[in-house]
Amino acid sequence: MITLENVTKTYRNSTVALRDANVEIAKGEFVFLVGASGSGKSTFIRLLNKEESPESGRIFVAGKEIGTLSGWKVPFLRRNIGCIFQDFKLLPNKTVFENVAFALEVIGQPRAVISSQVPAILELVGLKEKSENFPNELSGGEQQRVSVARAFVNRPLILLADEPTGNLDPATAVGIMKLLDRINRTGTTVVMATHDRGIVDSMRRRVIELDKGQIVRDQARGVYE
Amino acid sequence: MKLDYMLRETTSNLGRNITIGIASVMTVAVSLALVGASLMLRSGVENATKRWQGGIEFVVFMKPDATPDQLALMQSALEDSPSIASFKYVDKDGAYKEFIELFSDTPEFADNVKASDLPTSYRVEPFDKSADAVESLAAQFGGGAGVLKTATASTTIRLIQSLSSRLTVGIFIIAAFLLGAALLLIFNTIRMAVFSRRREIEVMKLVGATNWFIRVPFMLEGLIQGLIGAIIAIGALAAIKPFFQDWLPSSNEIPLVSGFRVDTPETILIFVLMGIGGVVIGAIGAGVAVSRFLDV
Repeated sequence: MITLENVTKTYRNSTVALRDANVEIAKGEFVFLVGASGSGKSTFIRLLNKEESPESGRIFVAGKEIGTLSGWKVPFLRRNIGCIFQDFKLLPNKTVFENVAFALEVIGQPRAVISSQVPAILELVGLKEKSENFPNELSGGEQQRVSVARAFVNRPLILLADEPTGNLDPATAVGIMKLLDRINRTGTTVVMATHDRGIVDSMRRRVIELDKGQIVRDQARGVYE
Repeated sequence: MKLDYMLRETTSNLGRNITIGIASVMTVAVSLALVGASLMLRSGVENATKRWQGGIEFVVFMKPDATPDQLALMQSALEDSPSIASFKYVDKDGAYKEFIELFSDTPEFADNVKASDLPTSYRVEPFDKSADAVESLAAQFGGGAGVLKTATASTTIRLIQSLSSRLTVGIFIIAAFLLGAALLLIFNTIRMAVFSRRREIEVMKLVGATNWFIRVPFMLEGLIQGLIGAIIAIGALAAIKPFFQDWLPSSNEIPLVSGFRVDTPETILIFVLMGIGGVVIGAIGAGVAVSRFLDV
């Protein structure tokens, strides 16, 4: 599903964010990216949905080389990839329902699809009763559930999560992880960057550890350290 | 692409920055109105001084019944004269065509005239265009056989022509500055619209909205602002035009000049040009703003 071949990414101030990375992630895998701040986790994630382009090496997502993907095709790549962030990135002037519907609307889905898919996904994340609320009326955990719903409503092949539990208390974080686990069981590949030792240790999934841009560990059923 | 989404976004954007939007619409309107007015002025002057264009300083009218010999004599006299730079012979058909054009607002006049009633003429451009030299040349050729009369471009006509060409240049310069201001204002409005919606745009990019899907509502916004400005300018000119035509001197007041009128087809052409101008300014301003600040 995801393949990195000798991928190197250097930023303009010559910080090496990723050095000669080789990774193969199969369909349906759940992968944790761990490492200190600045170790290259976010860069790894951003390379996969082509928010960044690699300096050298090749990246394959869903069978396509995305390093040479022309600009106008990027949106169609992203329709196969859902994204979740630490700061949720919800639109404050739209309701929960509208926030999720927005993701379908802007890729041109017809109204009928929106009115059937959005309630279903809100049911899945347990927010059906709050669909008319605005984001600022929700707790942090609920807001992250909305963002998970938005990322998954399009049934993407891949879900990328950049520290999705970073702003949440441990109990709420567990709820989000259960949700991601459930999504993973439907066959969606999940790649999650995290600092959360407790979560990594309790889930026992594949762990890729980065240190100053280099992959120092790639362990099936791994732990945080 | 979903049309209803595009229209909803465009209208809500137009409402969002209403004051700046109005400023750009008004600037477009004022500048296009100036451009249109100067085009109309030019076309009015051209119509009024049709006979006196291209350096023509005097006209030798031949009698309608002048013989071919007399015409040939006049032709060779003009050819041989060292003071004549160039001349043009207008035959009966040409004269009739011009007559119809000059009196297009009074068709009953044109209906009673046949081509054979009209005098043929030589339109002459001398080297020396001072009033004295022109007058003496006209007098010299006026005595020839078969000549009905000669007419010289009066000082009034020269004055009108030079005044109108200077006015046109002046107005165009002012209008160019105003159009530049309108372009920048639209550019700025769209930039602010893009900025105020940057979070939505970020989400749109993340979930895979195409670049054109993001761009089109902003470009439509600029285009509509330009179009509204053009419509206001066209409406203003259409309202003012009859008032001006009454106010300007008619052919009775200035001899040798037909009325300062702007024909309907010319007016329509000018209005269409103004409309296109507004749309182009809006689309360019918005397009540049979107591609520079959207980074899609």
